[in-house]
Amino acid sequence: MSKTLIVGEIQKGGLREATLELVAMARGLGGDVVSLVLGSGVSGLAEDLAKKGGGKVLCADDAALENYTADAYASVIRKAIEAESPDLVLFSNTPSGWDVAPKVAAGIDAGIVTDVIRIEKDGDELVFVRRMFNAKFDSQLRVTGSPKLATVQPGALEAYSGSEGGSVEAFDAGSPQSRTTFVETRTAASGGHDLSKAEIIVSGGRGLQKPENFEEVLKPLVEALGAQMGASRPVVDAGWLPHEYQVGSSGQVVTPKLYIAIGISGAIQHLVGMKGSNYIVAINKDADAPIFEVADVGIVADLFDIVPALAAAIGSAKG
Amino acid sequence: MKILVCLKQVPHKDARLEASGGWIDEGGIKFEINQYDTYALEEALRIKDAGEAEVVVATIGPDRTSQALRTALGMGADRAIQIWDDSLSGADSLTIAKLLAAAAKDESFDLVLMGLMSDDANNSLTGPMLAELLGLPHTTGAMKIELSDGKAQVERELEGGSLQVVDLPLPCLITVQTGLNEVRYASLKGIMQAKKKPLDKKGISDLGLDAAAVASKVTVDKLYVPTKGEGAEILEGSAGEVAQQLVGKIKELGLL
Ligand SMILES: Cc1cc2nc3c(=O)[nH]c(=O)nc-3n(C[C@H](O)[C@H](O)[C@H](O)COP(=O)(O)OP(=O)(O)OC[C@H]3O[C@@H](n4cnc5c(N)ncnc54)[C@H](O)[C@@H]3O)c2cc1C
Ligand SMILES: Nc1ncnc2c1ncn2[C@@H]1O[C@H](COP(=O)(O)O)[C@@H](O)[C@H]1O
Repeated sequence: MSKTLIVGEIQKGGLREATLELVAMARGLGGDVVSLVLGSGVSGLAEDLAKKGGGKVLCADDAALENYTADAYASVIRKAIEAESPDLVLFSNTPSGWDVAPKVAAGIDAGIVTDVIRIEKDGDELVFVRRMFNAKFDSQLRVTGSPKLATVQPGALEAYSGSEGGSVEAFDAGSPQSRTTFVETRTAASGGHDLSKAEIIVSGGRGLQKPENFEEVLKPLVEALGAQMGASRPVVDAGWLPHEYQVGSSGQVVTPKLYIAIGISGAIQHLVGMKGSNYIVAINKDADAPIFEVADVGIVADLFDIVPALAAAIGSAKG
Repeated sequence: MKILVCLKQVPHKDARLEASGGWIDEGGIKFEINQYDTYALEEALRIKDAGEAEVVVATIGPDRTSQALRTALGMGADRAIQIWDDSLSGADSLTIAKLLAAAAKDESFDLVLMGLMSDDANNSLTGPMLAELLGLPHTTGAMKIELSDGKAQVERELEGGSLQVVDLPLPCLITVQTGLNEVRYASLKGIMQAKKKPLDKKGISDLGLDAAAVASKVTVDKLYVPTKGEGAEILEGSAGEVAQQLVGKIKELGLL
């Protein structure tokens, strides 16, 4: 009988949806499911997880866990692994997941796979499926030794919707120490360029090659459509546009009626910001670019040919 | 101040990649320094420009990777370490971290800077692993690093543009996010000087390790183009023709 340990995550005072996705993954694999909830004043959330399929939920409730720190969280997760001897330990691939999971893996000399979208069974063996090369390829990986650790891409699975009754057990965290100290969390400043209400967004990516092209190539199309301009991260990193133009996991999440992605490859961190759009158009010269997977309509061509033609066609359609 | 920057050489961003079994076909493609790592190196060089620091760059990789190290030396790093053995092809992140740890352990670095993620494998693993093996505190995804009084204050990126501020005592390890700074180019003078800077090549036995100590636990069975879902309807024709078709679609949406 195999056992999976789920490392739960708390966000804004509630269980993170991604934790329930881990529950779905663990339940799908079969075997025992045990969960760990870490924080301060979190017994209610542990109860909640126990009701939502988390199985036996270890509740590490300790003032030292109020804010995430790698040292303190890693030490509690290791204690839970020692106590439960799971075969598989699941984390979410979130800023705290990718910060702590590799530290735990190295500390116990275990194999780990990150940003997994699926785990399949091949007889008794587990096959981990994930994207590589910014989503250009899928890969299948195997891990030797036990336990095996994995971080799972948020949104890759539906949250578990069953309601097997579980139980909550207090887990002694032992007031873990941390060398890093948490100072504060700063929420994103809502800039003047709010994309959340835009009907049409035309976004440019690294394919636009230089900042002037946003003005000379992209802007005429933005204006013809009466749209708002958006961008992928490299454009913002390079300082071509301010951060409030960035669409994606570390920028804005948008749901316009029409989203046009131009010279954007479609890395997962960009997709999570725009895949909820009603209608998606992608213009990219690479037919294999993953953006075409989420697009309704695609044009495989040089953007410098297509975008001016499109701006002109829209201009004349409007008369 | 002694700073280690770990950098990986990865296929050029616009290289046409073909999957071949467990990895990509490396024949005929260009390589470059992982984007994230260029930001880590730039940050180290800025610390050096602002005071006294020695900047050491290290990579685990075959012969071709000495080019990446030369570029880093040209940008201003002081010396380079290249570690390789053919048995390391396909090595997992923990093995890479063990090799880097073996290379770093006697050097007493005050600061280790790395990328948040490599652009080919997209693992986001090596940094926190190396920190654990070296017994250093760490944080990931830095958008700002300020050093003072033996500590580093780091703004680490969360989601949706939010940031978390943390203090770490030195020595520590920090992985950086892209956009942290503006990366310089190697000057012609820098490239000339780089030729005379030390580039130390080591094998695994030079690090006191053997093949068993660095055996990988994770193996890539298969790398393949994802089976396409329904995907997009691809418009065909000249620029003018596809533009017309698209105008039709946008009209159907009631947006024109
Ligand atoms: C923690 C984390 C958070 C992140 N957050 C975000 C985020 O919020 N938003 C975001 O966008 N990214 C984010 N990223 C980065 C993400 O992983 C990708 O690196 C990024 O989205 C790539 O941007 P891009 O598509 O513009 O560039 P690339 O991936 O370089 O793609 C450029 C595309 O342009 C095409 N192209 C080039 N020239 C032409 C031409 N002449 N005509 C047509 N097409 C052309 C190419 O074929 C290519 O597909 C994040 C990464 C991490 C690790
Ligand atoms: N082969 C390598 N040699 C040196 N540094 C590496 C190597 N692989 C990964 N790194 C470092 O680890 C970071 C994260 O890579 P990864 O864990 O592969 O996503 C990179 O940005 C580099 O700083």
